[in-house]
Amino acid sequence: MRSGRLVWFLISIALGVAAGLAYGWVFNPVQYVNTTPDSLREDYKTDYVLMVAEIYEGDGSVDLAVKRLQLLADDAPLRIVQRAIITAQELDYSNRDLDRLGRLSLELQNWSPEAEELQP
Amino acid sequence: MNESRGPWYLLTGVVIGLALGLLYAWLIDPVAYIDTAPDTLRPEFKDHYRSLIALAYQSNPDLGRARSRLALLGDERPAFELGAQAQQVLAQGGSQQEARALAQLAAALGEAPHAADEPANSPPASSNGESPSPGGDPLPSATPDERLAVMSPTPPPAASATPLATFTPRVALLQPTPGVAFVLRERELVCEENFTAGLLQVEVVDRNRQPLPAVRVDIAWDEGQEFFFTGLNPRRSPGYADFRMAPGVLYSLRVGEGGEEVNEIAVPQCETADGFSAGGWKLVFAEP
Repeated sequence: MRSGRLVWFLISIALGVAAGLAYGWVFNPVQYVNTTPDSLREDYKTDYVLMVAEIYEGDGSVDLAVKRLQLLADDAPLRIVQRAIITAQELDYSNRDLDRLGRLSLELQNWSPEAEELQP
Repeated sequence: MNESRGPWYLLTGVVIGLALGLLYAWLIDPVAYIDTAPDTLRPEFKDHYRSLIALAYQSNPDLGRARSRLALLGDERPAFELGAQAQQVLAQGGSQQEARALAQLAAALGEAPHAADEPANSPPASSNGESPSPGGDPLPSATPDERLAVMSPTPPPAASATPLATFTPRVALLQPTPGVAFVLRERELVCEENFTAGLLQVEVVDRNRQPLPAVRVDIAWDEGQEFFFTGLNPRRSPGYADFRMAPGVLYSLRVGEGGEEVNEIAVPQCETADGFSAGGWKLVFAEP
């Protein structure tokens, strides 16, 4: 009899967990609002980096490009662009867009945070 | 003895279960937002994203691509949002280049037929490795899917969803020639019912009378000065801009760099059945 009570007790715990999950996942699921750029899906991040590369192509400002890239991740800007190039290749981006990303990547190889701090 | 305890232990179990569930969900393995779409971004990041789209469009005037990117933000009226943000940037003393880019894209969206840039509504390409349409520019799916946002403490491998290919007919953006000195071609008194009192409407056109967006308009009066750009109300006209004049103040206005200065503009009085009411002006400037 005692073991029977224990079984029912465990079952009630499981029901409690199930009720909590059902509430959290079905009746009141998480609403995705107020997120930040670093949470974007990888292909959106890649397009974000492509936008930065397109802008860099127009204004030639590597510092602004770095500031924009830093919103995407805590990584070094060069790493962010390199990761974007890999994803862009996987997603069959056009050669022109890959060139844009490549040019930004090349420029970032010569960029260092110290150089940015020395800017007036 | 045990039998007299009743079924309360079951309720205790449920409560303990709920507590364990919440402990796990909130402390041990809390929700991490990953793989989200741009439409879920915080408003200030949405503004930042919108600015990037506009600036990228300035460098690479591919309207289809810009439209697809804007669709990711889920704005109901993208051109309006762009125009409003341009005004906000100017009002906050932000970058003029950014405001100009936003205004140019708003104007381009206002003047280009949407049907020509249908990728925003195209279904996403399959994720089974099929390549997008030949010659297309890849973009993430224009239709954000909330199901793709998952709760997980561990970031998954790189997304495999194939982005949308944009097949974009190029739409020429009317660009004002830098340094053009626009001259006043028409000056019309506006006395209409339900007209905003003191509204100064400016329309800037090129030699072929095509409206020109993103042209700077400077206005000055005794105690101050201000500037704004055409194209912030693309629904009206890409070359349109307006300014609300205060009664009893004389204004001077110039369009473009070194353009003709029009002086002594004031709120006009219009004769009505009841007497007089404040009217407005409509000025048309054109390339010489």
